[in-house]
Amino acid sequence: MTLLDTHRPSPVRPASGGRPPRRLAVARRLTTVLVAVIVAVQVYPLLWIFLASVRPAQEFAAGNPFALPSSITLENFTRAFELADLPRYIVNSLIVTLASNVLIVALGMMAAYAIQVLGFRFSRGVLALFLVGIIVPVQVALVPLFINYSRVGLLDTYQSMILPLVGFALPISVYLFTSFFQYIPRETYEAASLDGAGPYRVFFRITAPLSVNTVVTVVFVNSIFIWNDFVFANTFVLSEELKTIPLGLQNYIGAMGATDWSATFAAVCVTVTPLLLVFLVLNRAIIYGLESGATKG
Amino acid sequence: MRSIRFAAATAAAIATALTLAACGGASSSSNTDPGDVEGEIEPREISWLLSRPADGAVIATVEQIAADYAEQHPGFSLNLVTTPDRPSYLQKLETLAAARELPELFDSDATPFAAKLRDQDLMVDVEALLEELDLRDDYRPLALDYQRFDDGGLYLLPFEFEIEVFWYNRALFEQAGVEVPATLDDMVGLCGPLRDAGVVPIAVDGQDQWPLERYLAYYPFRLAGPDYVTELKRGEAALSDPPGRAAAEWIEALGAAGCFPDGFSSQGYTDARDLFTTGRAAVYNMGTWELSALTSPDLPADVRDNIGYFTLPTADGAVTEDNEYVVVSGIGMAINAQTFDPLVKDFVTYLLQEYPARYAATGRFSPTIGQETPVPEGASPLFTEVAAEIENLGDRVAMPWDTQLDPTSNTRLQQELTLLAQGDITADQFIETVDATIADNAPRYFGD
Amino acid sequence: MLPSRSRTSVLVFLLPPLLLYLVAVVAPVGQSLFLSFFRWDGITDMQFVGLDNYTRMLTGDDVFWRAFGNALGYLAISLFFQLGVALLLANLLTYVRRGKEVVKTLYLLPAIVSTVAIGFLFQRVYSFEPTGFVNQVLQAVGLDGLARPWLSDVNTVLAAVSVPEGWRFTGLYMLILYAAILAVPAELEEAAKLDGASAWKVFRHVRFPYIRPVWITTTIMAATYSLRGFDIPYLLTNGGPGQASELLTTYMYKTAFTSTDFGYASTISVFIVVECVAAVALIVGLLRRRGGVLL
Repeated sequence: MTLLDTHRPSPVRPASGGRPPRRLAVARRLTTVLVAVIVAVQVYPLLWIFLASVRPAQEFAAGNPFALPSSITLENFTRAFELADLPRYIVNSLIVTLASNVLIVALGMMAAYAIQVLGFRFSRGVLALFLVGIIVPVQVALVPLFINYSRVGLLDTYQSMILPLVGFALPISVYLFTSFFQYIPRETYEAASLDGAGPYRVFFRITAPLSVNTVVTVVFVNSIFIWNDFVFANTFVLSEELKTIPLGLQNYIGAMGATDWSATFAAVCVTVTPLLLVFLVLNRAIIYGLESGATKG
Repeated sequence: MRSIRFAAATAAAIATALTLAACGGASSSSNTDPGDVEGEIEPREISWLLSRPADGAVIATVEQIAADYAEQHPGFSLNLVTTPDRPSYLQKLETLAAARELPELFDSDATPFAAKLRDQDLMVDVEALLEELDLRDDYRPLALDYQRFDDGGLYLLPFEFEIEVFWYNRALFEQAGVEVPATLDDMVGLCGPLRDAGVVPIAVDGQDQWPLERYLAYYPFRLAGPDYVTELKRGEAALSDPPGRAAAEWIEALGAAGCFPDGFSSQGYTDARDLFTTGRAAVYNMGTWELSALTSPDLPADVRDNIGYFTLPTADGAVTEDNEYVVVSGIGMAINAQTFDPLVKDFVTYLLQEYPARYAATGRFSPTIGQETPVPEGASPLFTEVAAEIENLGDRVAMPWDTQLDPTSNTRLQQELTLLAQGDITADQFIETVDATIADNAPRYFGD
Repeated sequence: MLPSRSRTSVLVFLLPPLLLYLVAVVAPVGQSLFLSFFRWDGITDMQFVGLDNYTRMLTGDDVFWRAFGNALGYLAISLFFQLGVALLLANLLTYVRRGKEVVKTLYLLPAIVSTVAIGFLFQRVYSFEPTGFVNQVLQAVGLDGLARPWLSDVNTVLAAVSVPEGWRFTGLYMLILYAAILAVPAELEEAAKLDGASAWKVFRHVRFPYIRPVWITTTIMAATYSLRGFDIPYLLTNGGPGQASELLTTYMYKTAFTSTDFGYASTISVFIVVECVAAVALIVGLLRRRGGVLL
């Protein structure tokens, strides 16, 4: 992290006198309260959705939606599984999310490596080309993409979802990796080169292992968007076998848009679980990534 | 910035090197005339792209019929792809149409967009098909009329038949001391007493826009009949004409009288229905597709036993009869002319023959004549009353405006209509904006 | 540049991502740009109309300008949450001793819940009749006068649809900023504290300059994602009432798939791209002052 030294701030002017420890204690308690309040704001919605999923459907329609349910029922879950093939949607969503993430990370890292570490004549231009992609609204590409995919017979396949998801996520991935790579000290590479390591070995032995932290960030950001993607899936998928979760939630919509919300919330609870688990595991990985990044950087 | 300019130049270069598959014109192999299709039936998988509820009666019935057909024709299967959410469905349909990838069967209303598909010879003339199969006279004329394009062409097949009425809660009416309204203007008068009784007068799904748009259609239908909207959408009539002005002022009055719940614009379909079925709202204007829900034994008895209905009230100087109002036969099914072959023809024939009896058996109303719908077990007497109403309809129907107007004008109209009902704009402002929008957009859709 | 690199190695690393990107993104966007000079409904023949779509957008379309203004408002509110609140939280978190991991995880939860559920939830939260959560709270604390249908009032709807978007991803940006703050050498901060600097001064002069590069990245991400924001306004109000919460993205979507005016929709999206490029240039211009960042 030596490059960061250029940002070192001007020395702080010492303030006169010490600080009474009392004020510090108050500040600390205040912090705890504030953090707790915000936790409540962040968690409450999930709790609400969970409560709605175990609330009897009649009560959901009639009662105060913010009160505690008068009785608990699993009927909504039964209906949720009857109306839609939830396990299949979950598997499909996992396949799409997993495959997309692998590609986003691998390709993003490769491009950033070529641009930032290897370097070539038009590297800045290529980077700019990638960066423009950060800001393209996906909806605009739908019709051309659809026409292109139908021409090459890609419609209604996993690839037809994965390809645009990866394409549109690649820019931010390239950007994050490029930003990170510029903080890996040049000397590290020079030393490795002197030892006779070629570009491939440097990539696998030095760059990639150092990037764990960025990988986790990239996977994180993208998983959220990919897991919830409706636009691409709705456009490119036709058959029941390939439906992902956001498409599957459509099964709870009845005549003229009447939605079975209790069943929808039950389904949301079921489908959010895998992501929640992955996410808890990743959360550990972040800490690991941070620590290893700090010691090596 | 140099690098960004480079990127832009690259993108532009790539763009010019690309061509789109935007080739118009009909494919040579399209068969819009069903009489031309004859020959060997070769079973295969065919698809039907629909926008109907996945667990609804139509899909359930069609699935049964397809299964039976597959038994007689090994190798046949019907792939039903449904997207009940209408905007998502339309997006899918449009992309498929743009890529010339429409499946054998697909759903559509008789919209200006569908008319374009027909003009490109992408849809089979189903009137000719029904005639050839000797089925046309089996259908209720109103069910077919709903599916017709402006010039009378029939390219969409109905699978449902519903009337739209005003459901109301008798107990709440009594409590507020109000009567069933005889005229549209009487409806405005209901709202004050109902509000005073602590009740939401009229539940309305504002999020989906079309329910409120129905209200706009009522006055013109009463005063000028069904032709007004077909003239309006082409710019041949204006909203500033007396029927349109009456409509706008009526909506303004309904809003000012507090008829709709505060914040209705963000309430969805389910919210509006829940307001009514839990006894918090007095009136709910919706089609008979809700009949089974409203008469179901699952509903709390105090609400269920108090639900009544009235049909569209009349108006001073009305030219349409009391038994003429909104009658719909649901989103229609089109047959793709480009993939129309003996198999599709044979299957559709079988489907049309089998469908009415099996569909009616589920407690729904068939678009054909003389198909009795059995009263579902445990349904309240309301079911029978409404079923009788369906057999007593006039000859003209109020067409929903959202399938009539060009889509751009319709979007703007819906947005402004919400503002009008909320009191954010006046009837004059509403009329002015909508007339200008139609004048701007109609020529592009109906110009030829 | 790596001394041992070769032309082949550059190609091996660069070509796969670049090709995929060209095929999946650049080509359709290029086609779209191309479409913006045409009138096309997806079915009939395309008609070349030159710059007509651009003239119409810039001079004759009041909804477009309304949507543009709304998009900026939406951006401001989203950024307030995703940058302001996120930075505050990240800082607070460094002072928390126990349960940091739990707190971090909990903050991120809203981001993983399906948008459909979020939309429905907030519709209930803002509801007026029946009384929703916000209005219940207002009544409970005696502020009945402020109670209103938040999503139907043309004056509050834009803020009301922006809040869920901001709120949803606050945790995500907080996490990124928090990770950056962790990398600030503890000795530096300790030294400043020993010199008697207040928490604010430590932040202002030590912490923030240190995380500036990450801050810029976060700002760019948050800004561009907000400018592309679509699903929450689309689900909650579909741009209404009137055009009070219409964003450029929802307007473009409607133009494309409701009006089937693909040419004009492409023109609007070209504008969105230009707008985002301008925003990024502005962010980088304003924030890069002190430090060698990307671009």
